[in-house]
Amino acid sequence: MILRHSSLEGLLSTLSTGARVYVPAKADGVTKFVLYSSSVRPDFSITNTTMPPKDLLFPQTQHMYRYGTDAEGVPYVEPVHDADDVIVFGMRPCDVRSIECMDDVFLTKGFVDVSYQAKRERLLMVAMACTAPAPTCFCNSMGLCPTAAPLADILLRPAGATDASGDTAYLVEAQSEKGQAALAQWESYKATDTSDADFEPVSAAVSCSLKVSMVGVKDKLEAMFDHPIWEQLSKKCITCGTCTFVCPTCHCFDISQENRLSEGTRFRCWDSCMFTAYTEMAGGHNPRASKSARVRQRFMHKLCFFEQRYGKTLCVGCGRCVEKCPVALDITCLIDQIGAADVAY
Amino acid sequence: MSLSTAEALTDALREEARRLLAEGTVAVVVGWEAGRFPNQTTPAFISDPEQAQRLVYGDYCVNTLAKYALGEKAAGKVAVCVRGCDSRGINRMIADNQLLRDEVYLLGLPCSGMKDPATGSLLMKCRTCTEHDAVTYDVLLGPATAAGHDGASADSSAGDSEHVSDEQRFTAVLGIEEMAPEKRRALFDAAFNKCIRCYACRKSCPCCTCRECFVDQLRAGWQGKQNNLAENRFYNITRVFHIGDRCIECGECERACPMGLPLMALNRKMVKDLKSLFNADDAGMTEENSAALGRYDLGDLEEFM
Repeated sequence: MILRHSSLEGLLSTLSTGARVYVPAKADGVTKFVLYSSSVRPDFSITNTTMPPKDLLFPQTQHMYRYGTDAEGVPYVEPVHDADDVIVFGMRPCDVRSIECMDDVFLTKGFVDVSYQAKRERLLMVAMACTAPAPTCFCNSMGLCPTAAPLADILLRPAGATDASGDTAYLVEAQSEKGQAALAQWESYKATDTSDADFEPVSAAVSCSLKVSMVGVKDKLEAMFDHPIWEQLSKKCITCGTCTFVCPTCHCFDISQENRLSEGTRFRCWDSCMFTAYTEMAGGHNPRASKSARVRQRFMHKLCFFEQRYGKTLCVGCGRCVEKCPVALDITCLIDQIGAADVAY
Repeated sequence: MSLSTAEALTDALREEARRLLAEGTVAVVVGWEAGRFPNQTTPAFISDPEQAQRLVYGDYCVNTLAKYALGEKAAGKVAVCVRGCDSRGINRMIADNQLLRDEVYLLGLPCSGMKDPATGSLLMKCRTCTEHDAVTYDVLLGPATAAGHDGASADSSAGDSEHVSDEQRFTAVLGIEEMAPEKRRALFDAAFNKCIRCYACRKSCPCCTCRECFVDQLRAGWQGKQNNLAENRFYNITRVFHIGDRCIECGECERACPMGLPLMALNRKMVKDLKSLFNADDAGMTEENSAALGRYDLGDLEEFM
């Protein structure tokens, strides 16, 4: 199916009658996935949004259940169900891959997170291939392709040639049964005066200029737990949580509650392994009290531990932390340093 | 600054760092080195004299460095590259009993304002800076740019950041003060709504040196964990009141903020009020604690008692 850019607004309006549709846009100066309405101007040229789409499945604050005692003094526990049909329209391939990582964590290995699952089952991912990766993008190096998003339900690839009207075209392909079913709603917006064969979609030749080699990184890291690199590297880290909060795959959370008179709410919030309190235990002991231990944990988890457990790196190469770290502690520089480290593996 | 000025200062910095490390005067030199991207720099920690050539100085040294002295001083004396902002941060930490003057060796550098490596334009924090050059140092590595010091400029390229008047410095505050209360409320609600509470503002601040921040006092529970407008408002307002009379106006919090919150407008509101109510001195200009609210004199008025 060929979809013209000029048809997108109509399509988004139609889609938002049956689901909450999120599109990349700037809101109050921050680029993120914003709930579509007629007053929102989607911007499909953004690479990448400052905030990743992870909060749609894993909100920064998620109420899990309410509890308390009713008027007769009988205790109750009331789960909070807040899953809706959600369409994320215009996810980049790296963000789609990040959902794959979150699925591993929240749905596999014999443990299913019901809050995540409820949202995940009602999510439709519409991906948009990249034509112009940002200077901080390095997804190729992490085993991704900027123009392919295998887990997406529907993939839009900007077609190489714009037609005579100057209107950009997208080649639309369903990649799952869910995506195929969803395309029924799109039919009335497809371009009828042309066929798929007339367009050359953006090719796999699109590539990130930033490149790193992941060869041997995981294996080397297994032997680098006590390497001096962590002490040296962590000196400039100010242990804020920026990298973890803008990361599309960081998924650590902390469960807490607030009580008022006879009722309360249990909720979970994003937590960050950069924060001292992250590993602080009830008795006051902290196994990761030092800054270098915390920095090591973050990078080990991204580049070694996750791969050991799930067979893929927890970094998708989106470059958000590279761009936003206030002290330019750059994961790609670390990967280079690991590559250069004289460690047998 | 001109390319030749930057190169001369970089050479002087490397030479001085090498000498200090080789002679054992300091254990580590904190400066900047080149990052991966064009013009990008990143904080550097040099303890081997042979590595001193990694240091760079120029228009893109965006990080203020003062706070790193706290983390490094356990290893011995720390040499820190200082401009106006860095040196005022050092003074502030001395005044707050976090640091002794003897624990640091200050390498004074002239500054004509730093630029954003991505855009090449002067950083917001440098546009409203009142003290470009170091206010205290052990050695001065180049002629003063003096853009913030009584007029005369020693470097013609300092023209991109002229002396900043109080009017310019408080422009954002004045604009907000003039707003109707509802509009002001809406402005800050929008800002606090997008705060992700990564705490980069607190961590980058040379005044935020509490061993345990109120945010982390989980048992006391001052700061709730939920991310919502009420909690975000509480965090941001408490932060600004806590540093209120000590803020050195380096603007590092606002630069570090990944969400673009107007943190300096809040900080400067405190600075402006303290100036008009108490005739308060600008913070961090000396090692003395001149904080209007954070110290007392026996001669203080006690009209309210």
